[in-house]
Amino acid sequence: MVKQASFYSLMSEIGGALLFLREVLRTLVTKPCSLHEVLLQIWRVTIQSFSTTGMAGFFVGAIMTVQFALQMREFDAMGYLGGLATSGTIREVGPLLIAFMLSGKVGAYTSAELGTMKVTEQIDAIRCLGADPIQEIILPRFIGIIVSSFFLLGLGLIMSILGGMLMGAFFAGVNPEEYIRHIPTIVTFPSIISGLVKCFVFAVVLATICTYRGYSTSGGAKGVGLSVVKTAVATMVGIVIADWMTSFLGDVVMKLVLGA
Amino acid sequence: MIEFKNLVKKFGERTVLKGLSFQISEGEILFILGTSGTGKSVLLKNLVGLMKPDEGEIWIDGAEVQNYTENQYLEIRKKCGMVFQHPALFDSLTVFENVAFGLRKHYRLPEEAIQQKVQKALGLVQLSGVENKLPTQLSYGMQKRVSLARTVALEPKILLFDEPTTGLDPVTTNAVNQLILSLSRSLKTTSIVVSHDMQCALSIADRIIVLDQGKIVDQGTPAELRKSTIPLVKDFLSEVLELEAANG
Repeated sequence: MVKQASFYSLMSEIGGALLFLREVLRTLVTKPCSLHEVLLQIWRVTIQSFSTTGMAGFFVGAIMTVQFALQMREFDAMGYLGGLATSGTIREVGPLLIAFMLSGKVGAYTSAELGTMKVTEQIDAIRCLGADPIQEIILPRFIGIIVSSFFLLGLGLIMSILGGMLMGAFFAGVNPEEYIRHIPTIVTFPSIISGLVKCFVFAVVLATICTYRGYSTSGGAKGVGLSVVKTAVATMVGIVIADWMTSFLGDVVMKLVLGA
Repeated sequence: MIEFKNLVKKFGERTVLKGLSFQISEGEILFILGTSGTGKSVLLKNLVGLMKPDEGEIWIDGAEVQNYTENQYLEIRKKCGMVFQHPALFDSLTVFENVAFGLRKHYRLPEEAIQQKVQKALGLVQLSGVENKLPTQLSYGMQKRVSLARTVALEPKILLFDEPTTGLDPVTTNAVNQLILSLSRSLKTTSIVVSHDMQCALSIADRIIVLDQGKIVDQGTPAELRKSTIPLVKDFLSEVLELEAANG
């Protein structure tokens, strides 16, 4: 009985989030929000996660290089170290890392901010004053998270190449020039598209969950705390499931396009 | 002017409003009293479309509104200004921008006209000179007055107050009550005040309704309510009567 109730509750949450996403997309098309507010949100999200993403990107590049170096040393293919480490980062680890970083910082922050606005009746006040809360406060945050994640992906990649180059030189004896020489040959156009698609999908999942949870908060301070916890759990699970889906669907699409 | 007919509102299994029916005349100051959780705030939110009733009808100026869409409700919200229990000010906007918010959204006015209306509204709540401050730089009482100014700036025909004096000190409470009275009389608005404050209700209301568990248990003018034999009303009155006796 308890399991059945939990299942219904989960389905209700997923359904609610999807209906909310539909409302946000409809508002995006019919009632565009203020450009100033969008730019403000992009700036805020990017600045909030700039240093942590850069640092994490640096160490991810270093870790990928160490792991690949351990395998490639056996095949005497160290010249491809930089290309493989960067390809792995752009296709999979980079977008995932950015999504997790944003989930921890921006997701929780946005959920708490919107939740507080809900329980202190600011969202009701917006409606009473003749404005649409989706247009005024949700849409700018939604677009801000998505656009910022691409900027942060770029930053994370640059830092991961730097971290990988440094580790390649110290750990594997591969000089920086050799490290980056094979990046253009291994990091192909489909790799870049795969990374960008994943980054976009993860950002949409994160933006939907954190704005929906914040917007549907009830029950005072306790409700805000609960929304933040639910956001943290749901975004992590949602991003991992979205990763599996994009990998699976990406493979199917590639086979169809390339006929492989 | 405003009429509720058999209004029912449920939250899951719990029925908060159990078939409420009453009317409010134009220009009247109506107080709705009751203990916490009796559905007073829910009633106001149903009136402005922030919630939808499960059953019953809501009539405003001869129009049945409970099935209106969000866009149709915009016109109702121009008529009905609501002051919330919390100040509900937008933290990132200055006092001026908070008061101008509704004017910019509801009406397409030139900037000069907006400035004049904001100054006038802040003057009415005796808060001139704080236009450039952020809400967090003001005391709670001042924030409540800014919230009142934001609503009054739209010059609504109907003013709805959701526990306007909760959390305020006695001096500010008295000031806010006088403000409700003077605004209602000077702007000739119809006012519905949801409150726990019987003393205030007795001093400024034209009519008082007492709710208990989603139903009306008593209603009448302040003089009629003073003679009520309903236990809940007597409980509300006891503190006021004791205070009056102490003051001679």
